[in-house]
Amino acid sequence: MKPTLIFLALASMAGLSAAAEIAQPHAAGIEAKNYLWNKPNKTLTRALKQKADPEKGKIAYEECRGCHKADASGRPDAGYPQLAGQHTEVLIKQMLDTRSGRRDNPRMHPFIAADAIPTRSIPDVAAYLHGLPVPDTNHKGDGKNLDHGKALYDKDCGKCHGAAGEGNGKEFHPKVASQHYPYLYRESMDIRDGQRRNADTKMVKILKSYSDEDVAAVSDYMSRLPPVM
Amino acid sequence: MRHRSLQAIAGLTLFAGGIAFSAAAETVKGDPAKAVPLVERLCMACHGQDGNSLIPSFPKLAGQHPEYLLHEMQEYKTKHRDNEMMSPVVLELSATDMANLAVYFAAQKPVPGTPSEPGLLALGKKIYLDGNSESGLPSCDGCHEENGKGSARFPRIAGQNPEYTMEQFHLYATGKRKFGKKVMVTVAERITEQEAKAVAEYIASMP
Ligand code: HEC
Ligand code: HEC
Ligand code: HEC
Ligand code: HEC
Repeated sequence: MKPTLIFLALASMAGLSAAAEIAQPHAAGIEAKNYLWNKPNKTLTRALKQKADPEKGKIAYEECRGCHKADASGRPDAGYPQLAGQHTEVLIKQMLDTRSGRRDNPRMHPFIAADAIPTRSIPDVAAYLHGLPVPDTNHKGDGKNLDHGKALYDKDCGKCHGAAGEGNGKEFHPKVASQHYPYLYRESMDIRDGQRRNADTKMVKILKSYSDEDVAAVSDYMSRLPPVM
Repeated sequence: MRHRSLQAIAGLTLFAGGIAFSAAAETVKGDPAKAVPLVERLCMACHGQDGNSLIPSFPKLAGQHPEYLLHEMQEYKTKHRDNEMMSPVVLELSATDMANLAVYFAAQKPVPGTPSEPGLLALGKKIYLDGNSESGLPSCDGCHEENGKGSARFPRIAGQNPEYTMEQFHLYATGKRKFGKKVMVTVAERITEQEAKAVAEYIASMP
């Protein structure tokens, strides 16, 4: 049993596995030449068409609760987004983009990989999540720059994300109302800096001109928009 | 990963290959009375007559889900799980024996353990209910339920012997229990030694 002891000594520092380095597959995204953020693909088209069963989705979702919580309210400290009430189309696209490696999320990847959840369950989960009530207990920003945030939002973001932050499922525009502030802030920064590799290029162009303070103000404003079903 | 011949006897779809999502879990069909002589001859010495193993490195089987018990016996038979003490035992068991044993142990009343390091319980509870945001360790309650009783999809872990729990974490993390569900392998890869010890103590204390 000697090797085990050596292993234990090493493992006491980091995760139990020597290979705790988390990796996920990588698919071409925004950095690629002919990138189109909403380019149709077979898996997505089929998933969108599939007749979804929220009851089955509830069971499939059990595996996600450890991070996104049973009520799908997420964990703001961890950057786990609220999923309750999000549009089914958005949920499906984000799950598939994460699985294929177009959206980087190594923490979540092993749980959305094909060996963890069958592709046919993805629309079921989306239907289940879409039907959950949106909690208004989400984390909000410091509230100091809301007028500026509102001005930016109405000018630059509302045309896609909706005047009330309701988004648009058919267009894959996420609902942003009452999402966690830390998540909105980080996503917006990642979108601006090209790190969210499945983002809409039109939005990226707009956000490129934003300072960190602008991003904080608009994220705070979005987090305070009341829940929309 | 699939063993159709064995599956046939018990309608075991839940734990075969990728996780299946049947809303109504299929239950194992077996006769607990027929298991009694086998338990006394083959299992009792290590797992106790009522499945509440007293030896810390041997798992408790009492109250475990029958689907899981049956599936794990099959795993030893196919050498997907290999253990010098446990593997030889299953060799002489037929498919019917295994189904009978599964329903027998599932019906036994589980006895909670006594934690050996109560000082770790607070951290253990935190890991169990919140996971670790920094390392991306999901909370355990998400899958094993808040009370540790699991479901037809996820094994019961409440009351389990801490030594056995630790051993399983090491087996998952080092790729030696690699035919199990990958999600649990990921959990074991992300948990630290200290967190694992703490959560094992907390699990042991659960009724
Ligand atoms: C280990 C923790 C973890 C687990 C388990 C997990 N996720 Fe996630 N999930 C995350 C993180 C972190 C993000 C945000 C990623 C980012 O910052 O880009 C996320 C983002 C998402 C998003 C995108 C939301 C949006 O608004 O764009 C969806 C959809 C999602 N998860 C669904 C799921 C489903 C379904 C499961 C279970 C099959 C699951 N997640 C399991 C951590 C997790
Ligand atoms: C041209 C339409 C468009 C405009 C304008 C736009 N967005 Fe977006 N936004 C999108 C789309 C589409 C997505 C989802 C992209 C994907 O599929 O990953 C998105 C995603 C996001 C997300 C991630 C949401 C989540 O749940 O993960 C945030 C945050 C965001 N946008 C913020 C903004 C802000 C702030 C502005 C204004 C400065 C803005 N967007 C303007 C189309 C737009
Ligand atoms: C010589 C001691 C010994 C005997 C006898 C024995 N077992 Fe085991 N059993 C073990 C050990 C040790 C393990 C854990 C092995 C490992 O780490 O894989 C185990 C594991 C198991 C498991 C997996 C439990 C879990 O939670 O994953 C089942 C099921 C099981 N035994 C059933 C039985 C049955 C049924 C019998 C009688 C037919 C039996 N065992 C006889 C020692 C024994
Ligand atoms: C995403 C779902 C999920 C999460 C989260 C999860 N587990 Fe598991 N766990 C499983 C599954 C599935 C199995 C069965 C794996 C197999 O097939 O070997 C399992 C097996 C186990 C076992 C082995 C049981 C036995 O009798 O051998 C232990 C111990 C365990 N989990 C503890 C934990 C602890 C502690 C946590 C929290 C740190 C946790 N699990 C988080 C899904 C999960």
